[in-house]
Amino acid sequence: MPSKDMIGRVLSTGSATVTADHISAFAAALEDSNPLYQGAEPIAPPTYPIAFMTQAMAGGMDTFLELGLNFMTLVHGEQEFEYRRPIRAGETLSLTGRIADVYEKTGGSGTLDFVVMETEATDTKGQVVFFSRNTLISRRM
Amino acid sequence: MAGLDAKTVRVGQALQPLTKPAITKDTLKRYAAASGDPNPMHLDDEFARNSGYKGVFAHGMLSMGYLGEFLVQAAGHPSAIRRFKTRFAKLTWPGDVITCKGTVTAIQDDGAARVVDCDIWTENQEGEKKLVGTASLALPRG
Repeated sequence: MPSKDMIGRVLSTGSATVTADHISAFAAALEDSNPLYQGAEPIAPPTYPIAFMTQAMAGGMDTFLELGLNFMTLVHGEQEFEYRRPIRAGETLSLTGRIADVYEKTGGSGTLDFVVMETEATDTKGQVVFFSRNTLISRRM
Repeated sequence: MAGLDAKTVRVGQALQPLTKPAITKDTLKRYAAASGDPNPMHLDDEFARNSGYKGVFAHGMLSMGYLGEFLVQAAGHPSAIRRFKTRFAKLTWPGDVITCKGTVTAIQDDGAARVVDCDIWTENQEGEKKLVGTASLALPRG
């Protein structure tokens, strides 16, 4: 099971260049026709970081197993974004994902494990562009 | 203009709602491809039923994306969103028509910005709340 001593541990890193096509395809899937997300030099819609992180970072199943979470009952419980500025097509962002918090809650249906994964994105000047905090919840077997 | 105005915004004010087209299984396929989320729970009815659900259900992040569009509409531009958080309280199903709603809960000034905190949520055609969260929008005081 996840434990408090995991807090602060870096789980995954990655880097990728944002493309105009990736941004506009993401906006199209949300049926969001805002012209800011189209054309040769778009900026990204607010939840685009989730698609970018999936593309730029390795992990997935192995990460969940490493965390000690029960993959069969794993749910994405909460999601938070903190923005310094919009993401722009053409820029390269570096991502660092770490465990920000680990806690548990026990109720009538057993114990739930909570793991908060925080990903920090920085640009080529080292300036922070966004933080993403993803709370994963799994039921302890 | 559907957005908030820094000069007239007040606590308790409702944000202009945003209603999206009905969610279909095709919506989920397109979102899965664009977001890179291969989880069969959102694509394969058989898989979802074997996991104890009545069928596929929508990605939580699809609805959060709708809330993102709603916040851009309220704030005027993506750069005005400082913070945005949601809890995935209830599942959203194919056939649901999602409306994004919100109310202003606090206002404070920070330099050249008027920072507006909001409670935000999605609800379906029956008024059942699905995602619930908060956001902070920085409106230029201009």
